[in-house]
Amino acid sequence: MEDKRRSFLRKAAIGGGLTAFAAGFSATAGRMLDHALGKDKPKQRLNGNSLAPEFTVNPATGALSVNPEQQVSYTMCTGCTTFCSVRVRIDKKTGKVLRVAGNPYSPMSADPPLPFQTPVRESFVALTRHQEKGLAGRSTACGRGNAVLEQMDSPFRVLAPMKRVGPRGSGQWQPIEFDQLVKEIVEGGNLFGEGEVRGLRALRDLHTPIDAQQPELGARVNQVALMASTNEGRLAFVDRFIKQSYGSLNMVGHGAYCGGSYRSGSGAMFGDMKKMPHAKPDLENVEFCIFIGTAPGNAGNPFKRQGTLIAKARSGNKQFSYVVVDPVLTNADSLAAGDRSRWVPIKPGTDGALAMGMIRWIIEQERYDRHYLVQPNLKVAEASGEASWSNATHLVIVQPGHARDGRYLRGSDLGMVFPDEERYKDKDPYVVYDPVAKKPVVHTEARGEAELFFDGEAQAGTDTLKLKSAMSLLREEAFRHSLADYSAACGVPVEIIEGLAREFTSHGKRAAVNAHGGMMSGSGFYNAYAVVMLNTLIGNLNRKGGTLINGGGFKDAGEGPRYNLGSFAGAVKPSGIPIGRNVPYEKTSEFKRKKEGGKAYPAQAPWYPNAPGLASEWLTSAINGYPYTLKALILWSCNPLYGVTGLRAQIEKDLADPKKLPLIVAVDPFINESSALADYIVPDSLLYESWGWANAWGGVAVKMSTARWPVVEPKARKLPDGQAIGMETFFIALAKAMALPGFGPAGLADAEGNPCPLERPEDWYLRGGANIAWLGKTPVPEASDEDIDLSGVARIRPLLEKTLKPEEWRKVAFMLARGGRSQNYKEMFGLRLPPPADAKAHAAPAGAASGKTPQATGAKPLAAAAVAGAAVHAAQEEAPYPSDWATHRFTKPMQLYNENVGTAKSSFTGKRFSGTPSWREPAFADGTPVRKKYPEAEWPLQLVSYKSPLQNSYSIGARSLRGIHPDNPVALHPEDAARLGLHSGDSVYLETPGGRAKATVILRHGVQRGVVAVEHGFGHRELGARAHRIGGKAQPHEAAIGAGINLNDLGLSDPTRSGRNVFVDPVAGATVRQGLPARLVRV
Amino acid sequence: MIQSRRNFLRALPAITAGAALAPAPAIAAAAGEEDGRHRWAMVVDVQKCIGCQACTVSCIMENAVPENSFRTIVSTYEVHEGPRTNTYMLPRLCNHCANPPCIPVCPVGATFQRKDGVVVVDGDRCVGCAYCVQACPYDARFINHATGKADKCTFCAHRVDAGLLPACVETCVGGARIFGDLNDPDSKVRHLVDRNKMKVLKPEMGTQPHVFYLGLDERFQGHVEGAGTLWQPSGHGG
Repeated sequence: MEDKRRSFLRKAAIGGGLTAFAAGFSATAGRMLDHALGKDKPKQRLNGNSLAPEFTVNPATGALSVNPEQQVSYTMCTGCTTFCSVRVRIDKKTGKVLRVAGNPYSPMSADPPLPFQTPVRESFVALTRHQEKGLAGRSTACGRGNAVLEQMDSPFRVLAPMKRVGPRGSGQWQPIEFDQLVKEIVEGGNLFGEGEVRGLRALRDLHTPIDAQQPELGARVNQVALMASTNEGRLAFVDRFIKQSYGSLNMVGHGAYCGGSYRSGSGAMFGDMKKMPHAKPDLENVEFCIFIGTAPGNAGNPFKRQGTLIAKARSGNKQFSYVVVDPVLTNADSLAAGDRSRWVPIKPGTDGALAMGMIRWIIEQERYDRHYLVQPNLKVAEASGEASWSNATHLVIVQPGHARDGRYLRGSDLGMVFPDEERYKDKDPYVVYDPVAKKPVVHTEARGEAELFFDGEAQAGTDTLKLKSAMSLLREEAFRHSLADYSAACGVPVEIIEGLAREFTSHGKRAAVNAHGGMMSGSGFYNAYAVVMLNTLIGNLNRKGGTLINGGGFKDAGEGPRYNLGSFAGAVKPSGIPIGRNVPYEKTSEFKRKKEGGKAYPAQAPWYPNAPGLASEWLTSAINGYPYTLKALILWSCNPLYGVTGLRAQIEKDLADPKKLPLIVAVDPFINESSALADYIVPDSLLYESWGWANAWGGVAVKMSTARWPVVEPKARKLPDGQAIGMETFFIALAKAMALPGFGPAGLADAEGNPCPLERPEDWYLRGGANIAWLGKTPVPEASDEDIDLSGVARIRPLLEKTLKPEEWRKVAFMLARGGRSQNYKEMFGLRLPPPADAKAHAAPAGAASGKTPQATGAKPLAAAAVAGAAVHAAQEEAPYPSDWATHRFTKPMQLYNENVGTAKSSFTGKRFSGTPSWREPAFADGTPVRKKYPEAEWPLQLVSYKSPLQNSYSIGARSLRGIHPDNPVALHPEDAARLGLHSGDSVYLETPGGRAKATVILRHGVQRGVVAVEHGFGHRELGARAHRIGGKAQPHEAAIGAGINLNDLGLSDPTRSGRNVFVDPVAGATVRQGLPARLVRV
Repeated sequence: MIQSRRNFLRALPAITAGAALAPAPAIAAAAGEEDGRHRWAMVVDVQKCIGCQACTVSCIMENAVPENSFRTIVSTYEVHEGPRTNTYMLPRLCNHCANPPCIPVCPVGATFQRKDGVVVVDGDRCVGCAYCVQACPYDARFINHATGKADKCTFCAHRVDAGLLPACVETCVGGARIFGDLNDPDSKVRHLVDRNKMKVLKPEMGTQPHVFYLGLDERFQGHVEGAGTLWQPSGHGG
């Protein structure tokens, strides 16, 4: 017993906090004597300096009295991109935020949330000991959410506009008046004594092409670009300014350096490569779940909701177990949960090999959900009990040389006649093979199951075509490698691949697989597509215990029921080619020119027709001038130089040169690694000072919007009219100075078209709130006086009354008082919703195409038609949906073969991409494998990035987080360490082909062999790590903010490309931070 | 890490100095619920802990816990056994023992147990000698360098007395921390303690902790040894 115990303990490497608990003592005892003299006597005899409670509640009666000195308000946290609704406790006298916890109304924070109608007073009582309600309905903030309030009072905040007075990046600034800021940015001039800089007015050229030889690039206005980060509730406002009003095409978010590869892989599955829908496991009902490249309860979105539900599931009585596949062991696993939780280590960036191995096994063993996959269309699928459907049976033309090789066979190919603009579009149906009639029929006509594995020739119109069903293509691709090969590639033993596949297919639809940011490898897109394909093989989408899409939000900005926050007179419809080149190369003048010259490929740099806007390519494109240069760049609350893997080394020097990018303006509450290179920094509102309406972007299957409203007075400098300077005031002022449409005294209109001002942030957000209040079957109720007082909305009541119509303001107050609006949580399943506006094109009602067509195929109803038809008829009578169908369903088909991907070509090699999931080892743009260029002999290790629950890219300033977790030593498996003679605590140089950093090593068994794991969020050079000079005065700095290293500083460029670039996934265009070749060198 | 070890050594003489101060008379009853109707306790369901440290930070915010000190924290271990490696998360705080070894060592009678079981420190009396810090087998106490007094978890007595829950409980994302009155037959803690085999930390010390662990691996009941720390809040071994 003793021996066993000791060996166990000796092997226990510590994942954190072993000694933390006693830490306070050592750090403080040295100073003890000073304080024994009573200098800082605690405020309370027994409770030290603890805060006074915000309420007092009689535990027996529930009677609540509030502390008149404090305010508790429900608003949004922006401490990470989950954007939870939280409760913020404020000292009324000082405006200081004292503590943050959860909002009990919000599904993001509470399980279960309170019904939306609950009075605010009751919501407070629900947090207390009264009837132990606070235990049953607790609403939480995470560690970071508890800590980020520190940022409000940070000495590093930018509170007034600043202009650089030294060279770019020199850290020397002069505070300037707002009027000067606006005038200089709009009018330009010799702003820095370095020569003329063109201002935004002159740069707004909506007509002159950037390049007359390449008119497709668009007008010169596109050379003004705006980088944002996430939609934290204000993106629609920014979009209005830069796109619709100013007229530039170029606005981009951070997706390409966040979870872009996963989102693109999921987008391929869901058939939308631009919006990239994704689904999440239903953690409340799933029986077996595999997490690959995502770590529920450790990081990822929605952080708390996933954490709460995984904790509940693994400790509850329901059947549940889960596996986390990851090169790094994290808090997503729990030994305490016994066999319900397992960690499977994997080689970095090889998740696709694992998933394709599982797919192969599932197909070989016929463990897929055949009933799901054979459904030819939504109607038939629904009638037979399926809540979603796939295109597994749809036929693809596989005839090299055919003009439509790689495309789905369509009704028009069978002779159906459509106007040109509709041909091969949504209305032109797909074709399946009818196993009874033994011929192809359009999928909308099929009345029963279609041939799943079709591989042969069929008559299509006048041609005989080689056709394969999507499922056949998937099988073919999966069978390209043996299970042993897949196992060798990913480092997961064959028996574990089989075991995972067997377990995954042993729970009907109550199993799920999920992925996210861990997919950011050189094979990220295909890895992600392969992983999400597993869900499709068991048909779990829209099903209880399977995967669910989120319920969506209530739209604030748009042509809403109360105000038109969408269109306006004079709005520009930006056009051209985005600077990130996420369009087909084949549509460019360069392609035509090169094709005429006899060699269409390679393009000068890769193009990404199946990607969304690509922040990964933006700045290098601008510096390379391909497809064009930028004249001005606005950075709004984003930090690409910290976050885009490999970017800093590529372009930091270029960005410091105003000749290469003449004007950079940052709007940010802090000076980060990117805004440090700006010419001007404009302060922005922060956290609880700010406005916004945000949606839950995954994992919440009811409809909800979270409200952010200024529960405290913004700290930034005020304008003469009392408005604090922030993003909105800045853009409004720019728009007014240039007389742009859509802003100013008549910038908006109500639903009847009467003009309304857009001159202050609340003009936008409160009216957006009115739109939300009126959406749905009935408008929301009106807030009571008590709701308004208790929630702190009273503080902004004058704004509400001034901005909104008399019938509106109390409804908006009702939502602000509750931190947003959400659908009843109990409506997650089984509710029949009115069909979405665009559903017709995809629901493909039987016979929709036949009215227009001569029925060249002569398709007849299949044998099963009578049965299926009866069920279709029943569904039309608005019977309730089955109780295990999601209320918010995704009703377009899952794509076993994505024709847009499958017909796209690499703009470097001219070779077609695979249209099905596939395992391919990471390669550079010209197809050269990464390991060929950087062989294992020279670079024996691989870097991966991972997260802890505490730090993200912008949280390091919170002192309490650093107190728990001040550094990020790089983790290495003990066997690798032994080989290298390294021990925990040793200093090393961590080297990649892209850079080198000095780091400290820690040995962990929780790291895959051959891997160096680097936690994200450290290695900052700014945010307070460096002292700036403002107005000639040295500012403070804090060395601890610069602790550790940033993996993104070690990212690769692609050696097969020319010019500045970072290594990206060839389809998704997303950055590569997993599996970077590396080595460790002892210091 | 090295820096703080040095601090620890340097601190020792100061502790000795503090001990020279004279003892004080017995303490008067504290304000709050002192009639003995309640016996506050916590159950920690270790399967539910996700190690997010929400408790740790909320406690810091609620109780003005100075930098690098903790009234509560989640110790997080990486456990390697045979072919398997797993994460183990263990929330720690003052156990509000029925037999608290920190109380008798106080030379001034500053630390005492309320009738509802909460072990507190009277800041008016505490001289910061740190005897109690050393006496606690759970390393649950520290000297607060802002106040110069011994400091520790109070179960957020100021909140509990106001009918609220401790900060760490309110914000526990996994729902691992369950707080309530053992004397209330209907309370969740009473139900859990009655219906489950609970464990406590270091039971052999005879301290009779009132923080009960549900599903605790017995190998974590005592002092846990390990090699290296990934998260290294400046501190010494414990």
